[in-house]
Amino acid sequence: MNSGTSLQTGLERVELRALVVGAVALLLCGIGAYSRPDEFYQSYLFAFVFWMGISIGCTEVLMLHHLVGGDWGLAIRRLLESASRTLWVMLVLFVPILVGLRHLYLWARPDEVLHSPELQQKSFYLNVPFFLVRMAVYFIVWLVYGQLLNKWSTEQDRTGAPAIMRRLQSLSGPGIVIFGLTVTFAAIDLVMSLEPHWSSTIYGMMFIVGEVLSALSFVIVIAMILAEHKPFAAVTSPKSFHDLGNLLLTFVILWAYIAVAQLIIIWSGNLQDEIPWYLRRTAGGWGNVVLILAVFHFAVPFLLLLSRDVKRKARALGAVAFGVLIMQFIDTFWLIEPALRQKQFHVSWMDFAGAIGVGGLWIAFFAWQLKKRPLIPLRDPRVEKFLLQEERA
Amino acid sequence: MKRHPLYGLMAEFETAETLIAAARAAREEGYRRLDAYSPLPVEGLAEAIGFHDRRLPVIVLIGGIVGCLSGYYLQYWASAISYPLNIGGRPLNSWPSFIPITFEMTILVAALSAVLGMLALNGLPMPYHPVFNTPRFALATRDRFFLCIEARDPKFDREKTKSFLASLHAREVTEVSR
Amino acid sequence: MATEPLKGSPHLVPAPLIGPGYDYATVTDKISSIVLTQKTPRSWIFGFAVAFFLLMVLMFAIGRLFLLGVGIWGIEIPVGWGWAIVNFVWWVGIAHAGTLISAILLLMHQEWRTSINRFAEAMTLFAVSCAGMFPLLHLGRPWMFYWLFPYPNTMKVWPQFRSPLVWDVFAVSTYATVSLMFWYVGLIPDLATIRDRSKRRVSQKIYGILAMGWRGSAAHWKRYETAYLLLAGLATPLVVSVHSVVSFDFAVGIVPGWHSTIFPPYFVAGAIYSGFAMVLTISIPVRKVYGLEDFITQRHLDNMAKILLATGLIVGYGYVMETFMAFYSGSPYDKFMIMARMTGPYMKFYWALIFCNMVVPQFLWSTRVRSNITGLWVISILVNIGMWLERYVIVVGSLARDYMPTMWYRYSGTAWDVATYVGSIGLFLTLLFLFLRYLPMISIFELRQLVPPEKRPTAPGATRATVEG
Repeated sequence: MNSGTSLQTGLERVELRALVVGAVALLLCGIGAYSRPDEFYQSYLFAFVFWMGISIGCTEVLMLHHLVGGDWGLAIRRLLESASRTLWVMLVLFVPILVGLRHLYLWARPDEVLHSPELQQKSFYLNVPFFLVRMAVYFIVWLVYGQLLNKWSTEQDRTGAPAIMRRLQSLSGPGIVIFGLTVTFAAIDLVMSLEPHWSSTIYGMMFIVGEVLSALSFVIVIAMILAEHKPFAAVTSPKSFHDLGNLLLTFVILWAYIAVAQLIIIWSGNLQDEIPWYLRRTAGGWGNVVLILAVFHFAVPFLLLLSRDVKRKARALGAVAFGVLIMQFIDTFWLIEPALRQKQFHVSWMDFAGAIGVGGLWIAFFAWQLKKRPLIPLRDPRVEKFLLQEERA
Repeated sequence: MKRHPLYGLMAEFETAETLIAAARAAREEGYRRLDAYSPLPVEGLAEAIGFHDRRLPVIVLIGGIVGCLSGYYLQYWASAISYPLNIGGRPLNSWPSFIPITFEMTILVAALSAVLGMLALNGLPMPYHPVFNTPRFALATRDRFFLCIEARDPKFDREKTKSFLASLHAREVTEVSR
Repeated sequence: MATEPLKGSPHLVPAPLIGPGYDYATVTDKISSIVLTQKTPRSWIFGFAVAFFLLMVLMFAIGRLFLLGVGIWGIEIPVGWGWAIVNFVWWVGIAHAGTLISAILLLMHQEWRTSINRFAEAMTLFAVSCAGMFPLLHLGRPWMFYWLFPYPNTMKVWPQFRSPLVWDVFAVSTYATVSLMFWYVGLIPDLATIRDRSKRRVSQKIYGILAMGWRGSAAHWKRYETAYLLLAGLATPLVVSVHSVVSFDFAVGIVPGWHSTIFPPYFVAGAIYSGFAMVLTISIPVRKVYGLEDFITQRHLDNMAKILLATGLIVGYGYVMETFMAFYSGSPYDKFMIMARMTGPYMKFYWALIFCNMVVPQFLWSTRVRSNITGLWVISILVNIGMWLERYVIVVGSLARDYMPTMWYRYSGTAWDVATYVGSIGLFLTLLFLFLRYLPMISIFELRQLVPPEKRPTAPGATRATVEG
């Protein structure tokens, strides 16, 4: 299993299996959509938001790496680039949500809006045509960015011209600003507007941090799997895993910080517009999810990631990252579903089928993209420097 | 134990590398009571003189836990036990409101234990120490590196140790009086 | 963003952090000579005189406050928090850059922090002193300040732990304590250096006592480095928490314009923003006067400008979110608040702050602006002004426009407000001038670690081994 060709065949196998599993799961969901459409759309939105988060998070981490450099990014750069390409799949997979707008959003149902003065007040922003325009803008921005980042990176592989590095940097600076804004508004449109009476100014940041966290833990898991293979092992060292571990730790702390900041402010204010958000998310069994998140999304990974040994061992770090990824999955679920399944905690089989379906196609596309190019950006001047350092050490 | 008239022998070096090499050589020779002095932290020097002490992080961890628990208990006890007051219908144990002070107390006690622990383990403040009697020791805070083999070392012998130190590329070797 | 020298094939070595030609000895002598032998520059004497005069203004203003009470300030219910709280938040914010430069950049192995960290930490300490003063002066009976602490008293009541004002007491006093320790621990080896270079008996004694008998033992260094790293690890979340708690002072209340969940991260970013601006405002003239261009290089200024830009953008994001949510939420009070800011009695302040905090930093995208020292200095001052105005708009703007029009009020500070504020700058500058004169303003032992390998002494066999008896 140690040579480059076996890695290629491995990726091909993953691609094929993921494609089949994903297609089957989506087919099952399609059947479910006939019998229980509301439940299907609820599950599907969750699956979409979770996988979308990884695509966008990866693009953001990629730009961050271009901007600030650091050896940590060399190993995962191709993974991030391939993940940013999956935005194309997400564009296609967005169609069911468009179809189910009325099933999901109160503001998209004319009869509801007619009877609610509050929704009428918000209809300058929350209305279907404007929603479509905004979504189109987000996707165009994200796809153009993903396209440019990948195109110039391929160009760098081919020519190795130093000017490309500079170009990638000048693209990434404004890129982070633009992504910050588009992701914020996308989070407001897709998720926050499920409860149109509620708003929170920190919401966008909550999503940005969550998505970066998903992305980081995803690429760490993949890097752990690949680290045992030949071409990839050359650009990974305990030090690069250590740096990635620190980055993961930082974002785990940031996630908790934002969660606690919002809680303290809304809990202390105790206003009737705001507090229901927490009431819905703690009532009828949802409270147990909060407990799980507090312990396994923050306390456990935080304590584990303080240890130097955990961060330097690919397997240990990969295991922690996998746990964080699962928790991000649950966190996304907790952010979305209580808005739609009020009063009682409830999990549908379609929650899993949807996530597996979207995820299957996502991973198949990711694997396909990954094997198209060498796993290491060999002409990146930083890789050269890294290899020189390793040689000396 | 009989007190030796000398504190020890001090060798001066011009580079960190020679100092580390000398410290290693002295350990290999069997000397155990030695200390090195440098104007900047030198990586690997502490290991070379055989220094192992992992207590500080543990002290800080304990400090943090003590601060965390006492910070929370202070608020809980004052608000729920000692003088319960209904403030705006909030529960007596208003745990979300108690998070910030609990956090600050954790940091405060942990940081105090880091600084005081470091000073205590290092035995500072120590206004007088025999090594300051070395004539050129002021350079230890400028650009020179020193290695001292103390007289209480069982292998210490005025003449033998002196010639051993001189053989380690020392710039000069001086006796350190008490 | 494109200026960071590429670490690629043509130039594998990044721009130097220390001017050419320095070795351990010359680095030591250059910095310690400022404290020990150099003639005090005229500009120092002049600057100190001005600062000391302002300090006297502060003393006078405080004296009058103690005699007559807070009525000499412009505060009047409903605007119970005026200049004093604005100044408090402004100073705490400035303090944060120091800890950030020291702690976070240390954890991130950013070596460029070395020549500015000591100086930034000192700035932290002095800014916290200025900050802590204001809420105390604001108490009405400042001599009863100890009531804020939980201690068993005759009335048997405790401080109200659900109130962010009590959180503030803990946050700010923890912050002051930890920054003092961080700064002092960092100073110990350098105090020993000064002790050993000093020729005069008195200064030998004073620096000797302060150095606590530091002798540079390898075991000591090892524990020292561990402690310093742990302190940095503790100080980093502390900085974030302190300004978050300051933001809770506002956000926990239900006043429109205050009760916003983005306040904690947005206040923290604003704090770092104003703090870095202050580091630039001070370090640019200081490096000129003391000829420290070799240690505080162009690269330092460039990096600080980039951080200024990044944090400025987060602050701008905060403004955008606040404005958007006011309209999105559909709450008439929130919407009114934003309109009152933009078109109300304090609109000049609002638009000035938008200019200073959102428009001005955009110039920092350009490499040319970042390498223009005068331009950078002007921008840093504008940012300082903008951040003061931001707090003014938040504090005063919201209180002056409460839920009920009967509770509206037109607030403006009095001459005594101005005197206390300007006086606090005097306190800050006085402490800063004393620091520059009497303590090593750049960490000498850390600078030694930046000496390039070829400048370090080598060739061990070349020296003669002599034995003295």
